[in-house]
Amino acid sequence: MKPMITRRTLLGTGAAATALTLATPGLVRANTFPERNINVYVPTSEGGGADRNFRAFSSVWKEKLGTDFEPGFYPGASGRVGYEIYMGKADPDCYNLIFGNMGPEVLNWAMQAPSFDVNDYFYFGQVDKDPCCLFVGAESPLQTMDDIISAAKSRRLNVGTSRMAHPASIGLLALGDKLGIDFNLIPLQGGKGTVAGAVTGEVDFSVLTSGSVIAAGDSVKTLLVFGDNIVGEALDNAPSINDAYDMDLPEMLSARAFGIHRKAAEDHPDRFEILTTTFKETFDDPALMEAYVANNGTPEYLQYAGVEECEAFKQSMLELGERYKSLLSGA
Amino acid sequence: MDSSTASILTEVFFETIGYWYIIVPTIFLGLIVGGIPGFSAANTIIILMPLTLALDLQSGLVFMISLYCAARMGAGIPAILVNIPGTAGAAATPLDGYPMAKQGKGQQALAISFVASCIGGLLTTVVALAAMPILARVGFYMHSVEMIVVMLFGISLIASIAAQDMVKGLIAGFLGLMIGSIGTDVVYATPRGTFGFLELYDGVPLIPALVGLFAVSEAFVIIEKRVIVNHDNEPKAPNWTDTFDGVRIALKRWVHIVWTSIIGLVIGVIPGAGASIASFVAYQQSRSFSKTPELYGTGHPEGLIAPEAANNGVTSGTLVPLLVLGIPGGATAAIMLVVMQFHGVSFGPSLFENQPKVGYGMFMAMAVSYVIMFLTILPLSRYMSHVTTIPTIYLAPMIIAFTLVGGFVPREYMFDMYLALAFGVLGYVARRTGYHVAAILIGVILGPLLEKYFLWSLKKSDGDIMVLFSSTLGNILWVAFAMSIILPIVFNMRRKRKLEVPAE
Amino acid sequence: MASDPYKPPRQIGGELVIPIIAVGFTLYFFSTIWNSPWTAQVSAFMVGGILLLVCAIFFVRSIIWLRRGEGTLGFSNLFTIDDIRTGRIGLLVMTIAYVMFIDYLGFTLMTFLFLAISMLILAKGRNPVFITLISGVMALTGWAVFIWAFDTRFPRGWFETTMKAVLTNG
Repeated sequence: MKPMITRRTLLGTGAAATALTLATPGLVRANTFPERNINVYVPTSEGGGADRNFRAFSSVWKEKLGTDFEPGFYPGASGRVGYEIYMGKADPDCYNLIFGNMGPEVLNWAMQAPSFDVNDYFYFGQVDKDPCCLFVGAESPLQTMDDIISAAKSRRLNVGTSRMAHPASIGLLALGDKLGIDFNLIPLQGGKGTVAGAVTGEVDFSVLTSGSVIAAGDSVKTLLVFGDNIVGEALDNAPSINDAYDMDLPEMLSARAFGIHRKAAEDHPDRFEILTTTFKETFDDPALMEAYVANNGTPEYLQYAGVEECEAFKQSMLELGERYKSLLSGA
Repeated sequence: MDSSTASILTEVFFETIGYWYIIVPTIFLGLIVGGIPGFSAANTIIILMPLTLALDLQSGLVFMISLYCAARMGAGIPAILVNIPGTAGAAATPLDGYPMAKQGKGQQALAISFVASCIGGLLTTVVALAAMPILARVGFYMHSVEMIVVMLFGISLIASIAAQDMVKGLIAGFLGLMIGSIGTDVVYATPRGTFGFLELYDGVPLIPALVGLFAVSEAFVIIEKRVIVNHDNEPKAPNWTDTFDGVRIALKRWVHIVWTSIIGLVIGVIPGAGASIASFVAYQQSRSFSKTPELYGTGHPEGLIAPEAANNGVTSGTLVPLLVLGIPGGATAAIMLVVMQFHGVSFGPSLFENQPKVGYGMFMAMAVSYVIMFLTILPLSRYMSHVTTIPTIYLAPMIIAFTLVGGFVPREYMFDMYLALAFGVLGYVARRTGYHVAAILIGVILGPLLEKYFLWSLKKSDGDIMVLFSSTLGNILWVAFAMSIILPIVFNMRRKRKLEVPAE
Repeated sequence: MASDPYKPPRQIGGELVIPIIAVGFTLYFFSTIWNSPWTAQVSAFMVGGILLLVCAIFFVRSIIWLRRGEGTLGFSNLFTIDDIRTGRIGLLVMTIAYVMFIDYLGFTLMTFLFLAISMLILAKGRNPVFITLISGVMALTGWAVFIWAFDTRFPRGWFETTMKAVLTNG
């Protein structure tokens, strides 16, 4: 497979370049950066979850950085409008950042190769991570994992997901592989529809990022988390998939993170250094947690991750996407 | 309803009235943003989010709800007067509203629409409040299979509109459906017919299509005339009579308002279904059971009442799944959910036990908004209708600028402005050569929704087409659908026979 | 069906524009889904198939009309010399110019120019003062609503930059 080789080769070069950037010695803090506001491209709609997280985080980060952030919302084509058309045309000068989601957005690139190289951008700071989970409607006849497993013996179960190329779908397919069950994924277009599908019985149960499931209150019941259940009661004390079924699946996350042009970080290592250090400092400020909780965030999900962790997560998404490509894209 | 509920309701009612100082200005804001194509209650609340969150819970809810109701009503005003439906929910309003305006009955049409909206909205609010536990169950029975039939009710309008020249009508309708198929497929997200534009991956954006087809094309047509109002219907001196006429016409058809608003309510409580479906289905139902179906599309009051009563029925309907199930039925309800969560309101069945005042308060705010809205907006119809008497040499460029701007606003992409222009040209060619713009539009709006439900059903059944007839409720709906297609034809043939015999 | 002797012959040329667009678009659409999964194809082939069929019926009908002399391949229902006289072509050109140049001139200035010039074209040059005035008021209202109050992403040009400087410094 040719594109695969190209991708891998480029990944290698990309990782090396990042390492080089980070290892550049004697970074002198150029006092001039930032001289003006920083544009942030948000590839989802205004008023959504990313908007709220961004506002919370940037309200604290701007103090550290000494400049304002100007968000622009560019929804469409699973984020590709934002990445390709707008971020792609912006100057790689560290004044243009993207606030993306390393889960679904990256996974989508594995399904349909975007017009840019997936290594043209990299994420340097994760704001939060929200594990996906499996849940049933409060009135569903299936109330436990055992119910689901035994029901799956007599018929093919329909499972709602917000879209095929989503970490939650991968979590379910991995579970199916482990248990030998062939689940039928139904993409219900977005979190609202996915919750509604499980509650009203359109599908047998659903998989989704847990933030939206917590928000649905007692209309739903969570049975399994595709990651660690660090919120406990809010997700009905559901166990992690790895513990429950003795698996070693990486966490299936919606993880929002700031990304930047690779070229910007390479050409302006001093500016990039300022961005990363102030980003890290923001996490040390208790004001961040206050702002995050005030904006509806689940406090446990606010978790820092740097360049390497983000890169590792992105790679795992691309690899899993490649593995399940035929099931998720119908190709 | 026991006595404790009654006392809560009374208490909440007086509290809500106490918020008049929020409701009245919000109504005017709502009418304005509703009237600007592209703006809606949802994106206004988002823009004003810092303000909304700064208010206490009760004030915030009252603000959002009165904005929601007023914006819904405001969207009907330009739809009637200048053929610009500002939202997809108002897309069926110009079918009969605009012909009325052209006949010099703009003021009447506005009054009819206000009465239908307010009564429809008020009535469905009361019904929703009373029957909430039952209505909340509707979504448990209306799954994708059933929704396919509901969509077909709306889409069958294409055939009715096309009655004069069936072949051309079907070309227009199916071209619309084909344009509506642009974008990634519902299941595997494969891009289709996008001409390589990423902006089209999520489908044709509705507002640019809507304003382009209806308004831009109309602007190029009206410059033939001095004013929008036809020459033989020169505007009379302004008076109050027309307003009262409109109120009288609407009130005389109260039965009509009641059942079309109930259609809106029932569709509104289904999560995911929205005002555009409801207004087309209500229009189609209204026409099917009318004694004078041939008058629809020519400025028939019932053709205006149906979509307006229905889309306001949807407004109250969307509150039901939001409050009872914690599932927002539409974009505005989704934002209400965010604001309520911000204030720590927990949703689901326990809401009415733990915080009954929040739940009842929302319905009460809606009811009070409709009453206040009725009193404030009705007198304005006299002044608003003057728009139709502005000479077209000024009006046409304004309509074009206004609508192209409106096409841009929802996503703020320049691409959408070009798209509105392209749809304008398509609409103009269609109008001049005798193809129905409304038929194209129904296809563009309802086509993607029909395809979505269709694919969900097929995917769930692993491609077995018989899934369409697999549910009892679905089968009942299929029979009803067949009846609503066949019966009017039978009635029509009978009537024609009666009429034609003496004429030949 | 006898043709009305007083009616001008049916302008089939104009009527064929939409079906030809429809056929072209449908074929293009089919080409994009030829190798796609069934979910992308099923309803598109159904709808497109019917569309091609009704267009074919219309083409056959048109040929019959043309043969009987009940119609011509004219375009006078779509375009006449009157369209230039009434200013319709002028308005169309201005509309296209509006979307094309708004990026360079900015929202407010381009809206003003569009309104003023198209009104002047339609009014055949009468009332220039009134037209300038009303276009100015409309453009400024648009600026106040969309740029100043709602801060939408409309292209900023010379006017917007100046006003921003004035508002922040003055």
